[in-house]
Amino acid sequence: MLEITSTPLVIMAILGTVGVLLPIISIVRKEKGSNSFYAVIAFAALIVSIGYVGYQFLNENVAPAALFSEDVIVDDAFGGLFAIAMLIVALFTTVGSFNYMRKHNSPAVYYSLILLATIGMVLVAYSTDLVMLFVAWELMSIPTYVLVGFIKKNPSSNEAALKYFLFGALSSAIIIYGISLAYGLTGSTNIGEVIQGYSTLDPSLLPLALLSVGMFIAGFGFKMGLVPFHQWLPDTYEGAPAPITALLAAATKKAGFAATIRIIVLGMVVLHLDWTLALGVIAVMTMTIGNIAAIMQKNLTRMLAYSSIAHAGYILIGLAVAPHSSLGLQGSLYHILNHAVMKGMAFIAIAGIVTTLAVTHIDKLQGLGRRMPITALALVISLFALAGVPPLAGFWSKLMLFGSALDAGSTLWWAPWLAIAGVLNSALSLAYYGWITRKMYFEGETQKRVKEPKAIIAVMITSMIFLIGFGIYPEPIMQFVEFATPVISSDLMP
Amino acid sequence: MATELLGFEIGATSAWLVWVLPFVAALIIPGIAKLSKFLPDNLSKHATGYIAVGFALMSTLSAASMIPIALEAGEIHHQIPWIESLGLNGGVLADPLSIIMANVVGWISFLIMIYSTGYMKGDKDITRFWFWMMFFIGSMQLIVMSDNLLQVFFGWEGVGLASYALISFWYRDKKKDHVGVEGRTVLGVLDYYSPTHAGMKAFIMTKVGDVMMIAGMLLIFVYAGTFGFKELLGDTEWAVTMASQGLLVPAFVLLFGGAMGKSAQFPLNEWLLEAMTGPTAVSALIHAATMVKAGVFLVARLGPLVFALGAAGILADQFFEIIAWVGAITALLLATQAMVNPEIKKVLAYSTGSQIGYMMMALGVAGLSYQYVDGYTAGFFHLISHAMFKASLFMAAGAILHTVGSRFMTDMGGLRKKMKKTYAFMWAAGLGLMGAPFITTGFWSKDAIFAAVYESGNEWAMPLFAIAVFTAAITAFYTMRMMGLVFFGNKSKHIQKMEEEGHHIHEAPLSMWIPYGILAVLTIGIGLVGLSAEEGLHHTFVDFLENSYGIHTEHIAIESSILPEFLQGLNPIALGSSLVAFAIGAGLGYIFYIGRWVDPVKVVNSNILFYSIHKLLLNRWYLNAMVYWCFVIAPLWLSRGVFRYFERTAIDYGMNDGFQKAIGWSAKVVQGTQTGVSQSYLFVFGAGLLFVVLILLI
Repeated sequence: MLEITSTPLVIMAILGTVGVLLPIISIVRKEKGSNSFYAVIAFAALIVSIGYVGYQFLNENVAPAALFSEDVIVDDAFGGLFAIAMLIVALFTTVGSFNYMRKHNSPAVYYSLILLATIGMVLVAYSTDLVMLFVAWELMSIPTYVLVGFIKKNPSSNEAALKYFLFGALSSAIIIYGISLAYGLTGSTNIGEVIQGYSTLDPSLLPLALLSVGMFIAGFGFKMGLVPFHQWLPDTYEGAPAPITALLAAATKKAGFAATIRIIVLGMVVLHLDWTLALGVIAVMTMTIGNIAAIMQKNLTRMLAYSSIAHAGYILIGLAVAPHSSLGLQGSLYHILNHAVMKGMAFIAIAGIVTTLAVTHIDKLQGLGRRMPITALALVISLFALAGVPPLAGFWSKLMLFGSALDAGSTLWWAPWLAIAGVLNSALSLAYYGWITRKMYFEGETQKRVKEPKAIIAVMITSMIFLIGFGIYPEPIMQFVEFATPVISSDLMP
Repeated sequence: MATELLGFEIGATSAWLVWVLPFVAALIIPGIAKLSKFLPDNLSKHATGYIAVGFALMSTLSAASMIPIALEAGEIHHQIPWIESLGLNGGVLADPLSIIMANVVGWISFLIMIYSTGYMKGDKDITRFWFWMMFFIGSMQLIVMSDNLLQVFFGWEGVGLASYALISFWYRDKKKDHVGVEGRTVLGVLDYYSPTHAGMKAFIMTKVGDVMMIAGMLLIFVYAGTFGFKELLGDTEWAVTMASQGLLVPAFVLLFGGAMGKSAQFPLNEWLLEAMTGPTAVSALIHAATMVKAGVFLVARLGPLVFALGAAGILADQFFEIIAWVGAITALLLATQAMVNPEIKKVLAYSTGSQIGYMMMALGVAGLSYQYVDGYTAGFFHLISHAMFKASLFMAAGAILHTVGSRFMTDMGGLRKKMKKTYAFMWAAGLGLMGAPFITTGFWSKDAIFAAVYESGNEWAMPLFAIAVFTAAITAFYTMRMMGLVFFGNKSKHIQKMEEEGHHIHEAPLSMWIPYGILAVLTIGIGLVGLSAEEGLHHTFVDFLENSYGIHTEHIAIESSILPEFLQGLNPIALGSSLVAFAIGAGLGYIFYIGRWVDPVKVVNSNILFYSIHKLLLNRWYLNAMVYWCFVIAPLWLSRGVFRYFERTAIDYGMNDGFQKAIGWSAKVVQGTQTGVSQSYLFVFGAGLLFVVLILLI
């Protein structure tokens, strides 16, 4: 049994209480305007949650990277890493929304939904039971549907929400189908037991087991934005309120990876099939199509939406080679953590630009380096980190990912090609990252500096410190990631 | 040596100070130059110069303090940890070889520094000059005192850098600082060089050698795991392995490649002539007396090691053969060109390369002989004597240039009455270069080389000996020619014009003539007791080779020969050849240029053979032109061709534009699928699901 003080339960309690209370308070107070009050409460709740996760880690109350449990959730380092990444993004989103929500109604509901979605994401990462995972998945998804369509009068926001909901519903159905297959084959919904059941499965039933895995890939792949389950993504990111895009790109995406690692990667190891090729092919498709589509975009949000598709592809490299290289999952987790900060930061920067200047077209970014110096600098740093330029944090995680592909080359002949594809794609991505940089710094006439939102500046500076600091001295993060990475081997099976 | 200073033995401290002090000076000179503004006027102008000369003297005194160690053939080897992860130590090795070399370098540098205070007076970039001179001395002494190849290489590159900076010292490329005849071309290559071009040429050409050297060094390091000279000698397992794989000789020859570059040996000789664009003090110090000797020193360092390996059964005779032949070819090649060149400094430069060829020949022949020490001593003795007379000649030439304001000997003439001291000293040093019998160091050292080559008993002994003797005759001839053109005959038009304009042809100032005077006097002074000097050196090296390398020298009882009493012990054939060569060369030179009984121009034009030879020599055997065609002009053409026909077409149009178009096209395709219509998205989603399941099931 989980103790009452275990991390997921406490986070659920804190965020759940605050999330439910916020709308009630707003009803009691009978006023809709001032959002700072609610923002501060949400901010405080998130800070306390992050603090608690950190506290649990420092006191060594967290199991090192265990993946299975008899309970429905487990307090392990793997979940902890995801929880930290998601909470940080939720925090960025909350702070980044501060200025954005001044112009919009119902802030209490807005922040409440962010908190509830965050609970969902965190619980996905901690789940060890398929039903629990599905419930958490829905808890994460439904608030985000509302958030994407939060600006009721805006048609593109509505379209985005509708598309998102349509595909969300479809993928939920597919996941449920996968779960039902798994339950039918093994008689359990506990992930550990399902996997054990798969390992002793009658060979004639293997295709069904594989079908369930396929369902999971498609269902989670929707959230991760893997090609070909990605098409809703640019439309939704573009239409959604700018800070919510950050939440979608940097946090909910990661929930998909958490679920994938818990179920698919480990499940498929047991099935002893050459399934890695499927993930490898998807990885290359995802990163290539993401980058190629991004390169011609004129809209900054859309460009970064495609870039986040491409990054899902990089992360997938680690999953694909996981059984052949111990670095694989480590690299993936490392990049997930970095990507949460880099992408969260980039989208919050865009939120800042949108709130102050109301532009997202790339040509309109001319001279931004002078108009909004801190935001522009932060955006450049986040973009370069995304491209993997040393000495920024993104360099190390990409290095580890591509290194794992090379490492796996001794047993998996095509694995080095993943690294080559990754490197070529990184180079390609620099084309449009560099283009944005050029627009901001080397084009346009000198314009007057405008006032940058303070809350967003705070996010920018914090994340710049993270990216540069852990780029120059990556050791602590690397150790943390190593601690959180499950080792894939047969004796890990329950 | 029981006394200690700073935790080091006194001897070791001196060995370190020899090369550290000049670097210290180089470091503080820019600071002094800034601070000297606050000094009284007469002091502030000279502050940097005093510092430079003072530090040069201290460094040299440190070297001198080690002379007793050399005389008793002792050795100081002191190491400190350097790159611990690779197990590398830094260190100094003071043995007779390095101590004598350090003294030669030190004293000559010191004299040239004094000369420079006069020669460079009033130059507004004087701080830069002193900085690089001290940097150079430090680097050179680093080469000399190092106990391992890696440290040598640092010094090696240091002198290369200093040489580059000083050749291009007058970087404004004024007409008077060029060398060569303006507008003259050889095979379409301009034979006229600006200081900046010359510096670059020297830098790049010597780099060819440096690359070979570092390759050789690393090759040895891979097998031996050490760069240290003592360590290499200690355990010769590496040499056995390398020899069995056929890599030993290539590795040593690569190291010799470095020496070829630095010492301007054929085929890396062409840079030395253009190096004359530097101030004359630089030519004297770097391109005559010291830096170009670095190559000889390296061979002297490595030679005993290779010979000792050979004695232990690991033969590398090809190494010595290559050295001997490269030396001989260079000696002849450059001497011939010195006969026709009109520029005084270039004549001396050719002569320098040629004389270094002699030293190389002696060191190479030594390894092929029964008695290693004979050739070794001869080569090194010639290094010392050459350092003295060539530095003196260069400084004297500098004084003449200073006065006359032209680098061409045809613009001089009849100077013997105007510059009496310079005239006398130049005769003394010039006689040393010619090898005037019995009274000059040059004679004894050259004779020792002849004897070593003749007695080596090697299959190549006779051809090498013939080349050596022939070259000696040429050397005597061109020295006579130089003396004749500069000091005898009538005043040239240039001088007459100068005098008409009120310029006065005068003797060089005190600070200039004293240094070359001292060296000229020493050339004769040591020459008078040359045989005993050589025997002393011989004796030291016998002990040195015995103690340090285990190379044993047998004492051969001197057979009495037909020679008179005071020449007993010399080889009569070598001695005779030497005298004949001197007589022919000097005699012809006297007839043409001093006595002026025959006009050389008429002789050259009298028949087609002489004319062709003259042209061949004046055009530098077409070697320089060929170097330019093969390594400068042809690559440039190639590069332009590649740029025009490959870069502009295949890369720019093909790859860059093509790639861009391909990406743009693919982006359009991808965007085309992004219809914005949910139904089509759903279709793709479904197809994707099918695709994934199919991949899994296959």
